[in-house]
Amino acid sequence: MMDKNIVKQIRDKAKELLSNGTIKCVLGYETGTDGMNARPAFIYEPEDVDRLIFDNTCTHNLSTYLRDKRENPVAIVVKPCDARAINVLLGERQIEREKVFIIGIVCQEVVQVSWGELSHDAQMRCKICNQHTPVIYDFLIGGPVDESAPKAEPPANVTAMEGKSSGDKVDFWSGQFSKCVRCYACRAVCMGCYCTVCFVDMLDPEWVGIKIATPENQMWNTIRAFHLSGRCIGCGECARVCPVNIPLDLLNMKMEKEVGEHFEFVSGLSSEEPAPLASFLKDESLGIGE
Amino acid sequence: MNKITSKKDLASWLDGLMKDKVLIAPAFVDNQSVFKHVANVAEITFDFKNTALSVKEWFFPATEPLFTIHQKDGDTTLEPIDIENEFVLFGIRPCDAKGLKLLDKVFLGAPTDTVYAERRDKTTLVGLSCLEPSPQCFCNSMGTAPNNADDVDIMLTEVVDGYIVEAVTDKGKALLSVAKLSNSKLSVPKIKCPTELQVKNVPEAMKSCFEDDYWARIADRCIHCNICAYVCPVCHCFDIRDYPTSEKTERIRCWDSCQSPGFTCAAGGHTPRPTKASRLRQRFYHKLLYFPERFEDFQCTGCGRCVALCPVNIDIREIITDVPKLGEKSATKA
Repeated sequence: MMDKNIVKQIRDKAKELLSNGTIKCVLGYETGTDGMNARPAFIYEPEDVDRLIFDNTCTHNLSTYLRDKRENPVAIVVKPCDARAINVLLGERQIEREKVFIIGIVCQEVVQVSWGELSHDAQMRCKICNQHTPVIYDFLIGGPVDESAPKAEPPANVTAMEGKSSGDKVDFWSGQFSKCVRCYACRAVCMGCYCTVCFVDMLDPEWVGIKIATPENQMWNTIRAFHLSGRCIGCGECARVCPVNIPLDLLNMKMEKEVGEHFEFVSGLSSEEPAPLASFLKDESLGIGE
Repeated sequence: MNKITSKKDLASWLDGLMKDKVLIAPAFVDNQSVFKHVANVAEITFDFKNTALSVKEWFFPATEPLFTIHQKDGDTTLEPIDIENEFVLFGIRPCDAKGLKLLDKVFLGAPTDTVYAERRDKTTLVGLSCLEPSPQCFCNSMGTAPNNADDVDIMLTEVVDGYIVEAVTDKGKALLSVAKLSNSKLSVPKIKCPTELQVKNVPEAMKSCFEDDYWARIADRCIHCNICAYVCPVCHCFDIRDYPTSEKTERIRCWDSCQSPGFTCAAGGHTPRPTKASRLRQRFYHKLLYFPERFEDFQCTGCGRCVALCPVNIDIREIITDVPKLGEKSATKA
């Protein structure tokens, strides 16, 4: 379902910024080859802005492309979740604020997206989202939203998983990870996975090994979850792209819940506050060997 | 006159085959259809869209040992891999069967890949026609069809209450010797095919657009995961490594993909394909030019998995359609 007014505002702003030379490229959305679901679009010329769209199939977190395009100033279309990702990238000094023009969209929800199928079911993360206006933007599209309605939090499937016995959890996750083919789509789509050499690609010394087999898959997915703890903004792209349907978002949501409880921290609300597990304070006590 | 089997007789035939052979068949796991070892016919799903992964993993597994190296008292011996079982792969779609035909060109040419060859030898392919191709399917543009029996040993096509059975090869005939078949006037139904793509001029057109900016613009969107390569029934690149223990060393190979930055990285750190655009371009040049030049066929079967599973909608059909136009564009410029 496309809101013509939102689309017009995106196109007008994109045209203005490209025409006056403020930016070199707009990272937005266009209609994909199934004619129903959106895909990322990179617009370089003012005459191409009419390709841009926005609707509830715009699931992609476009901030994942910002590091690729950090040489020149760009504009980016963001939902509230993606805006938090930009804060994470700014806080980690991966992009420069002056080089990103943020077109923020007030978002109600995005639907489950699968090529060739049009869905009307909201994504699970959207059902518990209580932030419909981006935390950071240069230009905002859409009106104010009532944020007072309480949402079911934490997510029901996280609570259900917490209720299982250790043995059941091990069985569940080894079953899931046995399906993993190590295509690394979870890593490739993630705005927070940007290491120049990922630990899993380290060959000398070889940290994980190249086998596509349950022990290695488990090692890969577990370490990745730890590396994202307190940095994941819950866009759920890892789970969406997984070709073998591993619910990686479940793992990440649990880790975010833990970080929230222990450090009273929610990732991406500001670019100033350092992520608890990705920072070290001089006077911090680790409680080890003291 | 065609041969036909009832659904019940098909089930008993498959049941009988399992006594001395391993049956691999489509089944639903976590709401997804996959090919797996099945222990009884009840596990099999007969009604499925294309599986997430192709059947290539049963011939060229994601990870497999190639041989084991033993060293003792100064002697080194190589122990080959022994594939004990005979397999029946039931429910293979014509697109995946075409995929095996194309993999054969790579793995069975000289020098022959012995592990692959042995798995192929020991497996009988029982095909199942696609009655309703999915929107991403384009097998008819890639030289096969939803009911094409050319690349399997036995072909089954579902009709009311049963299946039309075609014994294609001697291997297939041997397997069918214990099946209960009857004669029928029913003929293989005509299956509606997706719109055919114009592919004839694509390899020639690819020759003149290597330097085109087009590849960089598509690569903008590409996130460079390995999904397309791993779900593809014909992509066949791999990495090899030795894993030693105190007793022996195992040489294993695993799937790898030209989309990964480390794929072409040489000793010393030089990478001939350092950019995302150069890696994306390689994928499509291999499929649409290099493979056709060497093996006279596209390295694609039109199964549509990469189309449906790409997280950002890199659609090979769009590229096939765009490339001839790029040629026209450069001709106008010249």
